Amino acid sequence: MKLARAIYAALIIFFLVAPLLVILPLAFTSSAFLTYPIPSFSLRWFEELVVRSVWSRAILNSLIIAGSTTVLATALGTLAALGLRSLGLGLRGQIQTLFLLPMVVPAVVLGVGMQAIFVRVGINSTYFSVIAAHTVIAIPFVLISVSGALAGIDPRVERAAESLGASPPRVFALVTLPLAMPGVLSGAALAFATSLDEVVLTLFVAGPNQRTLARQMFSSLRENISPAIASAAFIIIVGTVLVAAALLLLRRKRA
Amino acid sequence: MNAGSPPATAQGTRTQCTGGLVADDFISFSKVTKDFGSLRVVEDLELDIAQGEFVSLLGPSGSGKTTLLMMLAGFETVTGGEIRLDGQRINDLPTYKRDMGVVFQNYALFPHMTAAKNVAFPLEMRGTPRAEVADRVARALEMVKLGPFAGRLPIQLSGGQQQRVALARALVFEPRVVLMDEPLGALDKQLREQMQLDIRELHHRLGLTIIFVTHDQDEALTMSDRIAVFNQGQIQQCAPPRHVYDSPANRFVAEFIGETNLLAGKVRAIDGRAITFALPDGSICRARGVPGLAPGAEALLSLRPERIGIGAADAAIDGPNIARGEIADIIYQGDHLRVVIDSSVGRLVAQLGRKDAEWTPGAKVAVSFDEADGWVIAP
Amino acid sequence: MNRLSRPRAFLLMSPLLLFLGLFFVWPLVSVIWQAVSDPAISRVLPRTAAEIGGWGGEGVPSDEVQAAFREDIVANTDDMAMGDVTRRLNSSQSGFRSLMGKTVREVRETPDIALIEIDDRWGETAFWKAIQDNASPYTDAFLLSALDLQRAGSGEIEAMPAGSSANRTIILRTLWISAIVTLCCLLIGLPYAMIAASVTGWKRAVMIAAVLLPLWTSLLVRTAAWMIILQESGIINQVLMGIGIISDPLVLIYNRAGVVIAMTHVLLPFMVLPIYSVLLTVPGNLMSAAASLGAHPVRAFLRVLLPLSLRGMISGMLLVFMSSIGYYITPALVGGASDQMISSVIAFYATQSANWSMAAALGLILLVLTLLLYALYNRLSRDPVPTR
Repeated sequence: MKLARAIYAALIIFFLVAPLLVILPLAFTSSAFLTYPIPSFSLRWFEELVVRSVWSRAILNSLIIAGSTTVLATALGTLAALGLRSLGLGLRGQIQTLFLLPMVVPAVVLGVGMQAIFVRVGINSTYFSVIAAHTVIAIPFVLISVSGALAGIDPRVERAAESLGASPPRVFALVTLPLAMPGVLSGAALAFATSLDEVVLTLFVAGPNQRTLARQMFSSLRENISPAIASAAFIIIVGTVLVAAALLLLRRKRA
Repeated sequence: MNAGSPPATAQGTRTQCTGGLVADDFISFSKVTKDFGSLRVVEDLELDIAQGEFVSLLGPSGSGKTTLLMMLAGFETVTGGEIRLDGQRINDLPTYKRDMGVVFQNYALFPHMTAAKNVAFPLEMRGTPRAEVADRVARALEMVKLGPFAGRLPIQLSGGQQQRVALARALVFEPRVVLMDEPLGALDKQLREQMQLDIRELHHRLGLTIIFVTHDQDEALTMSDRIAVFNQGQIQQCAPPRHVYDSPANRFVAEFIGETNLLAGKVRAIDGRAITFALPDGSICRARGVPGLAPGAEALLSLRPERIGIGAADAAIDGPNIARGEIADIIYQGDHLRVVIDSSVGRLVAQLGRKDAEWTPGAKVAVSFDEADGWVIAP
Repeated sequence: MNRLSRPRAFLLMSPLLLFLGLFFVWPLVSVIWQAVSDPAISRVLPRTAAEIGGWGGEGVPSDEVQAAFREDIVANTDDMAMGDVTRRLNSSQSGFRSLMGKTVREVRETPDIALIEIDDRWGETAFWKAIQDNASPYTDAFLLSALDLQRAGSGEIEAMPAGSSANRTIILRTLWISAIVTLCCLLIGLPYAMIAASVTGWKRAVMIAAVLLPLWTSLLVRTAAWMIILQESGIINQVLMGIGIISDPLVLIYNRAGVVIAMTHVLLPFMVLPIYSVLLTVPGNLMSAAASLGAHPVRAFLRVLLPLSLRGMISGMLLVFMSSIGYYITPALVGGASDQMISSVIAFYATQSANWSMAAALGLILLVLTLLLYALYNRLSRDPVPTR
């Protein structure tokens, strides 16, 4: 019984994790095919990402768009989380549900609607349209993460600061914000990762000039499966890990 | 046992609680009312506190004592009435300008700042020069015996140490008043008793004005100059610990503070401070009591267990303040015995020293009490 | 700072409310609007559309209506738009194509000519009825045809002729694939969550990390990984052929099996985590208690642990089902032509055939379905129902 459970658990862990591990070594293959076994290791596919403008342009676009999305979503989400906090319980629940809806609504439906209004206003296929679309679906992550951090703050700590002579703005700057910072930073990291990985909305609202890395991967997965995809995946994984690590480090320095 | 001067008493719904050790009123609440929605948690409350006084606000949870403290600190708005500090109306003064040191129930230390930073916070808020801050923080931490722990974060400190940081933080800026909201509630018994003595000592040494909220009567009796007993948003009695215990103003106070036997009867006669009281079995006793009782009125006689004496029933003594009965049960409690007696006036609980251990259940006894130890209150 | 203050709260939330209003609510409203609006006729024939509403549907409309119709024809300068109108009317009532061409020509020459003199068909009720039916700026035609339904000439709702549209097939397929994926997730996730909740220390940490890791990894990367594994020369086929179980590669990609495998992998965390978190609140000694009361382990499981995890199971199933019906990337990449789900069809209508109304109508159906499931899920996770 115990052995059966252990084997079952191991099998499922393998099912969950193995696919993620399979793709990483292929980033370094010298072959022109995305298959095992790897004949020898080389960096030719990373070179391809840098040299071929479809890929290098896509990486640059992704950085611009994900960076802007992170800033915008973090600012809007953090402000709203602070506002939600000073609302009564009933109203808070309802508004929070509204704020979390972008996570639930099917991306394709949202994409169709966004394309329609962006076209009507004349801003479709611009950086702005892509950033706005990504920000919409990144906001729930920021909101959840910041709200969680704010809920963890004992309101008495803020009262204490006030009783010790800190005016409300100083209470916010010296107590509330530093204590909420871990939530703000992890919200920012999630927003960045969300934007980096977004494909569906991008299909609808981006033009050829805003083609992101994820969008480029999606089309090459459909058309010609080349190991450049594995290299791009490697970059996405490493990029996400690096951003998370940087934020973690920043947080540790502040504490 | 002397009951002392007549204590302050409840007068209808409003309670006058004025006059402390010093003549001028440093803090005064007049007709203060607080509503939460349709719920009135504090009603027409009057309380004056003198500079340098240690006043405990004691009562069951929900009695309004914490709300009163929160209004004084400025965390809650005042619905009606007026709060004055040193003659100045402070109803609308924001918390951060009130200059009151607050010690919170769970300390409310800033988790992202070291002990020293926590203590330095109020000084920095007041623009104290850097060198002076360091000096005063060091002295404050020394005062609470935490010098070596200055660089630690709150999570690296024990509960008692956190409590002392909170105390140092509330005192370092020499606030006009120190407010404490059940500050010792989270500590274990031994540490709590030590802290009670430490805070009392600081109070005397620094001449602090302290308002202390607690639901622990022993704590209130130990520490206070005066105790304000709260129930249902009103002060039932506000007096020095001894008065509150010996001369409770009403039934709530008599039952809330310490343990007591309450015997229903009638006031027969009043002669100065002496009251003649008739019990249902026809026996008569003499006692003291609250002012304002009238002959013929229904009343209660409060008898503290430790003030009841027990003697052999066959002793040929007779007279007032004596009843006969039989011991129903004896409970051993270490430093004393609790004796339950079924007497002619009803069931009584008496508390005896260990030396009186010769009694056994079933023994016929006579119980008696001193005239000064019986206390008559309105029913 | 701590006092509840509504104005301050709304001031802080207003940038986000504004942003979501513009870029979230407005797009969705435009989808809904597009799904039910059909402005072609009411735009080109505004006067007729306003007048013909009062016609009772008997005989032919009054002279005022007919005059309004002639005025509209004279006022219109956009021949393309008039072509749209003709096409639309012709699809409701055949014969309109020739009738409209003739009528427009004649009315432009002699604006006050009686319509009946142009063509006898203007004396037939059916032709006027077609105009009346199409005059409203709103229509349920797109929503109906999204479900393979249409209105017959008489106004009754009827099924479209077989083979003319595949929308219903695709909706049913979407629900079917989602159900299979949900079932797979439940069968794999329930035992896994139970094991994870019953072990402690590093074992639990590893089991939960294995669930969270895919959740944090890019969806695109995970799908790409499955394509590498499942393809004809992929790892599974290489291994199976290497050990000699099969001689020809299995077809695992661009078919239903591939879609189900990849989607199960992607959505499994949404099943495991709710069950796991519900099970964590179950006291650990409950199974021991059941055993001490004489319950065989299997009975203890059926009577104690299973009912207690029911809430988590339902939450997980709703989450997985809700997510899968809207899935686009995985079926689009791993599935074949007969595994495309409703999202793919919406994307096809919108990006390739530029049929916005059909895209919006199917989108509205998907949106409503998703929101209903979400409301159910929300309700379930909000008010705790005591489990027996």
